Amino acid sequence: MGRGTLEKLDAIHRGELSAVENVQRALEQIEKLDKQIKAFIELNPNARAEAEAVDRRIKRGERAGKLAGLAIGAKSNINVGDLRTTCASKTLGNYVATYDAEVVKRVRAAGGIIIGMNNMDEFACGSSGETSAFGPTDNPAAPGRIPGGSSSGSAAAIAAGMCDLCLASDTGGSIRNPASHCGVVGIRPTQGLVPSHGLIELSVSFDQIGPLAPDVYGTALMLETIAGRNPDECTTLDLSSVNYLDKLDVKIESIRVGTSPKFSELTDPAVMKVIDGAVEKLHDLGAEVVEVELPHLEKGLSAYYVIMSAEFFSATRKFDGRKYGRRIEEVCGDEVLRRIKCGDYISRKEQRGKYYQRALQVRTLLRREFKEALDRVDVIVGPTVPKLPHELGTKLSPAEMRAYDYLTSPISLAGTCAGVIKAGEVNGIPVGLQVQGRVLGEGTVLRVMHALEAVK
Amino acid sequence: MAEREKEIERSAEEIVESFVESAKELPELRETYYSQEAYNIVRPDGKPTPAAERAKFRKRFISNMPTSDDQGNLKVEVARWAEER
Repeated sequence: MGRGTLEKLDAIHRGELSAVENVQRALEQIEKLDKQIKAFIELNPNARAEAEAVDRRIKRGERAGKLAGLAIGAKSNINVGDLRTTCASKTLGNYVATYDAEVVKRVRAAGGIIIGMNNMDEFACGSSGETSAFGPTDNPAAPGRIPGGSSSGSAAAIAAGMCDLCLASDTGGSIRNPASHCGVVGIRPTQGLVPSHGLIELSVSFDQIGPLAPDVYGTALMLETIAGRNPDECTTLDLSSVNYLDKLDVKIESIRVGTSPKFSELTDPAVMKVIDGAVEKLHDLGAEVVEVELPHLEKGLSAYYVIMSAEFFSATRKFDGRKYGRRIEEVCGDEVLRRIKCGDYISRKEQRGKYYQRALQVRTLLRREFKEALDRVDVIVGPTVPKLPHELGTKLSPAEMRAYDYLTSPISLAGTCAGVIKAGEVNGIPVGLQVQGRVLGEGTVLRVMHALEAVK
Repeated sequence: MAEREKEIERSAEEIVESFVESAKELPELRETYYSQEAYNIVRPDGKPTPAAERAKFRKRFISNMPTSDDQGNLKVEVARWAEER
């Protein structure tokens, strides 16, 4: 919203900008732009009162928290107590969250103000932001084109300055893909670094909550706030806290950066040209650039779809409409139904071993290949999405739509982390560089992105 | 089955079969179910939820109920086969 995240936080701490003023500006921006962009499904009616409480804490000289006064958007698959957590689906159209997800508790404890629930692809099934039951989201950075998905509303809200930071989720690329198309910054954390408690799942073994922000500082700040072990959850890693901000400015001269010839085989040459330019910048900053082998990278996408669909089918069996809401198959859109049908087909007993277990073997293969490559280098850089975002409403075949996930889903299979930062533009449309790191290598990924951000 | 559903089912089967085709030449390996293996399997009991939180939860929970009886109890859908008897 006009200033960088660090600058804004400083202004709030110094009393030059109050939390109430900041929230008010965000609400005004939403009021002005959201009829066209559709980045929010619902706004928090208590946001102003929560901002007043933060201002009182700051005035009394109390610790107000590292997100004090910042306006935060939450993706509509993350439970925020008293707000509708719809997954952008008619199935959960009237579901009011009964509790705060663990990440929401942490954001609130750090003084962040949840301003509203962001639009998204229905049940996170989509890469374009067009499958929401509440209507498609527009791309503020390339009006008339898709913002990417599934965290479409979150990335669009950041790009349009409607909020300071967002809590989003990434299964096969749902943070990275819209970050690339909207020209903002995001990171998919290592599997298990951030608690998943309170996230309505798409695919339990891939889902990860992570941040979207206008800059690398904001991304690192939000990740520091939400990362770390949740003792009530068996799927978080045993880390008490993390620190990324202190090392953001460390130079990248000793960093080894890997690239793969596979990337150019799978990517539109115009997109690849921008990516090559970013790699050259990293070289100029002193990083050593080497080639790495990812021999089966292109096999990741279909294996990802098999595992994800089987897990999604299982996750959606509870939406049977018997107690709450409406039966999912009766009201969902085509993409959600396709994934349910896919999962149903895979999950039939006679198919066991042929599909699901075979896909889990491909996951082992991809995981091994990424580990071997990342043993040789600190990060692997390449394109995030192989093509430019299409114009809203264009009819694409399911296979063409799936192609958006070609370069992001392999990292989900590998279980490591990856960040995205704007590398440049093609005809005014943003193109994001994907910086892929080791398990718990978020610090290095953020450092590389920060170095690139500084030379822009 | 509606035409839409049939077409979606066909495209779903295509996705799955295209995977089989693409994985044909790949080696047989151990399956990876989760990306990390060092999870916290044993959870502490923790403290009971404070009364105020429980009251808030109950209020929100009830607000989600589509139908209730006059004593405020949740009414769930009666199975169709039971209604037909």
